[in-house]
Amino acid sequence: MQHVTSAAPATALTAPAGRRSPLFRRRRRATVVPWYVPYLMLAPGAIALGAAVVFPFAYLVAISFQQFRARELIQDLPTVWVGLANYRYIVAKPEFWTVLSRTLIFAGVNVALTIGIGMGLALLLQRLGGRMRLALSISMVLAWSIPPVSATQIWQWLFDRDFGVVNWVLTSVGLRGFTQHSWLSDPTSLLGLATVIVVWGALPFVALVLYAGLSQVPDDLYEAARVDGANAWATFRQVSLPLIAPIVLVLALLSTIWDFRVFTQIFVLQKSGGISEDTNLIGIWSYHQSFGGSPNYGRGAATAFIGVVILLMITAVVVRRMVRIGDES
Amino acid sequence: MKKQNVVVGVVAVALALVAAACGNASTAGAPKADTGPLTVWLMNGSAPDPVISALKTEFEAAHPGVTVNVQLQQWGGITDKTNAALSTQSPPDVLEMGNTLVSGFASAGGLADLTGKQASLGSDTWLQSLKEAGTLDGKLYGVPYYAGDRVVIYNKDLFAKAGITAPPTTRDELMTDGKLLMAANKSVPGFSALYLPGKDWYAIFSWVFDSLGGIATKSGSKWQGTMEDPATQAALSWVKDMRSAVGTAAGDGLETTDDPTFEAGKAAMVIEAGWHYGVIAKDKPALKDQLGVFPIPGASQAAPVFLGGSNLGIAAKSKHQGLAYDYIKLLAGSKYQTQLAVQGGVIPNTTTLLNLHASDPVLSVADKAAARSWFVPNSPNWAAVESNNILQDMLAKIFTGKASVADATKAADQALADKLNQ
Amino acid sequence: MTPRRRGSIVANGVALLACFFFLFPVYWMVVTAFKPSGDIQLPTPKFFPAPFTLQHFVDGINKYHFWANARSSVIITFSVVGLSMALAFFAATALARFRFRGRKLFIVLLLVVQMVPFEAMLIPIFIELDRAGLVYQLTGVILAYMAFALPFTIWTLRGFVASVPVDLEEAALTDGCTRTQAFIRILFPLIAPGLVATSIFAFIQAWNEYIFANVLLNNENATLPVWLASFVSMGTQIDWGGIMAGSTIISLPVMIFFVLVQRRIAQGMTAGAVKG
Repeated sequence: MQHVTSAAPATALTAPAGRRSPLFRRRRRATVVPWYVPYLMLAPGAIALGAAVVFPFAYLVAISFQQFRARELIQDLPTVWVGLANYRYIVAKPEFWTVLSRTLIFAGVNVALTIGIGMGLALLLQRLGGRMRLALSISMVLAWSIPPVSATQIWQWLFDRDFGVVNWVLTSVGLRGFTQHSWLSDPTSLLGLATVIVVWGALPFVALVLYAGLSQVPDDLYEAARVDGANAWATFRQVSLPLIAPIVLVLALLSTIWDFRVFTQIFVLQKSGGISEDTNLIGIWSYHQSFGGSPNYGRGAATAFIGVVILLMITAVVVRRMVRIGDES
Repeated sequence: MKKQNVVVGVVAVALALVAAACGNASTAGAPKADTGPLTVWLMNGSAPDPVISALKTEFEAAHPGVTVNVQLQQWGGITDKTNAALSTQSPPDVLEMGNTLVSGFASAGGLADLTGKQASLGSDTWLQSLKEAGTLDGKLYGVPYYAGDRVVIYNKDLFAKAGITAPPTTRDELMTDGKLLMAANKSVPGFSALYLPGKDWYAIFSWVFDSLGGIATKSGSKWQGTMEDPATQAALSWVKDMRSAVGTAAGDGLETTDDPTFEAGKAAMVIEAGWHYGVIAKDKPALKDQLGVFPIPGASQAAPVFLGGSNLGIAAKSKHQGLAYDYIKLLAGSKYQTQLAVQGGVIPNTTTLLNLHASDPVLSVADKAAARSWFVPNSPNWAAVESNNILQDMLAKIFTGKASVADATKAADQALADKLNQ
Repeated sequence: MTPRRRGSIVANGVALLACFFFLFPVYWMVVTAFKPSGDIQLPTPKFFPAPFTLQHFVDGINKYHFWANARSSVIITFSVVGLSMALAFFAATALARFRFRGRKLFIVLLLVVQMVPFEAMLIPIFIELDRAGLVYQLTGVILAYMAFALPFTIWTLRGFVASVPVDLEEAALTDGCTRTQAFIRILFPLIAPGLVATSIFAFIQAWNEYIFANVLLNNENATLPVWLASFVSMGTQIDWGGIMAGSTIISLPVMIFFVLVQRRIAQGMTAGAVKG
């Protein structure tokens, strides 16, 4: 079982010349098969997707153009199409733009920290001895197992104004100003704490994936770099990074989608302090516009798609590359 | 002759067949018995299990062949779950709803109109607030189930040490006593005479309503916020002054920190539901004998309290409306209300039973306070106001100094109008 | 492949700090679960639970329908993971190995679906399940969860498959295997680590999901996150000790599973996926 990197094309297994099957021709990537084969293989997955995803997705699109509230749902009222009214309602709200820019900044910071620190941890894991590496891996994995709501609650306690461990420690070492210091009253502080919680929960996955990617870089490349006199940073930049770039991109893409949509952590923190209108991110704000209490499902759907459009715009470049995977040889 | 006989015979057979076919449906006044099953949704933590089991046994005995299927629901996400369930062809027949949520479900058409039956359910002695909560546009959709309210829990020891002989009965006395307590406990870091976190709007609005201020009123079909009313603003200013004079609670804090603060000896008074008395006593047995309660003091008498609680409704699409009505009649009737009040420590739905707790030092105070109560604007969109934290944000802005009372109330009124009129 | 050193003092020091950062909240959760309620929020925090109580765990297990809920959670989670692995493997292979009409659109749609917040699909999925007669049943929830598990899994596995060179399968084909046999015997083992990685993801999401489970299930059918929610009743009555005990119980199976496969996670996460 060989793990091959893009640097070393596989040459090990070539079929002997005389035994080529008439059904295929040797090409680097694409193979010629009866037209129905790919569709056949896709079928079970596609059917499941159809039931689980396509129908709800199409329905969601439809209701985003309808007046669809609890009343319409419960009484099965005839459909009322309202065109772009739901979309306009959201975009016309003055807070929408504030919340959006706040979310973009928040997501940007979170993604940068997650990938940056994740990479650092991955490099660290490479340099550790067996025992320490195991300890760190297990620590990360234990953190990853805690359900997000519980994790946020614990972090909120640690930073609680009156009973938090952090304030107690800071006060005990002499920083008197931290007695009853509220970490949630200032919006930046609250969002900062939310960042810590989100990054803490996201790092295990990112660090472990990057570490595995780094492990795939063949030793001889490192050796060559060392011989050439490159220091650690140059080695990283010119040997490791180019090879794991695709993984970094995938992780950055996923992180962007998830961090843009952060809900739980902010929601739990907002309940414990601060002024919610100053700390709402798009996930929470949309929820309040559409579901909190008197549900307007049509509006909720419109908000979801506005979010999709924004996400597609931010990630356009990377998405295009992702789609093309398997096209180039 | 024979032909006539045949015709008669045929007609007779036809009539007999028709009679047989229609027999089940048309026999007026004696329809086939409904055999359920009856699905009942009750909220987690509302009623003690023994009470519900006893009711189930009695109900099933009175309705042979019917099974009662009680399903306990969690508070988190209940609105979405209820709306979804009410839209199906077999919704829950009986459902318990938080009283601030009833008008939302009613206005969406999810609940059956019970106006015609209210007299037989005991409506003339219902607690006024509970009845209001279950009514929309003059029609009854939610039968009062039970209520809960807040009282001031205080530490008798700390009071005695500060030289206070009796708990305050007016808000001016509260201010004076509070200052005495603060002075007597200067050496305790982070001490509050009255620990009142800023976002505890259920407690704080007692003073607003006591001053005859309010949250919002409806003129015609439009709601208008009344936060900017002089009475409301004056009450809020008083609360602001009081909070800074007699406490150190966070301006943007929540009442969930009341108990630990009190138990740590850092608060002489907290405003909480009566049953927190038991929680504190259990967490810190040493404090048990020092605990006392008194009603929230208003300007000249006990301030009106927020009456939390639940109502019982029947799904509009329920196929067992008769059975559902019978169930509710039992649960909201004196027998089980008594059990609920005695075993669960809640306030029953009728004024005739308010003396049940007369011998309980805590619950008797809570029950008495319920006589004067306030409730949220009865709008189907009220839940949106709560979910958007409009009132909490307003209070946090005022108490952390981020905005003046005038500015904060103005912003709140705009937000209220926006949300209530959508 | 990885440099075999003991690690410098600096590296070990940083690693220790990192361990502390990840572990302290976990420690706090477990410790709180063993503290009597009165000790949970104190001005001077207690770092060890003394006195020590098991009451929260005992109460938790007796609460609501714990064992039935645990059973539901296991059935749902394993079904979702198993089904998505099976379906996604073939779908991902088709997407990565073949060129056919609609391929690019399909891939883009898979990504767009992942950009829609899962909760937004609550009502549409509920309506669909209601029409199919699947509400308040485990099957309905399994189907609903496929909505987030399948797209992610197919999309990620596609990357793994794409980076395994075709030559290996082609060799098998010339040796007389059918295409299916080639896929199952050659490709499948090679991307097994990738399957492990995506299955762990689907596992965590399904295991911790609350909103759909709460709306689509009742009583015994419900899952552990719903059970955990039962520790919060009526707004201000929050049983913190109970919640932390409950959180510990819920995290336990995941923790155990993770520690067991963590080596495989690290090793296999991107086996062959360097290409993207």
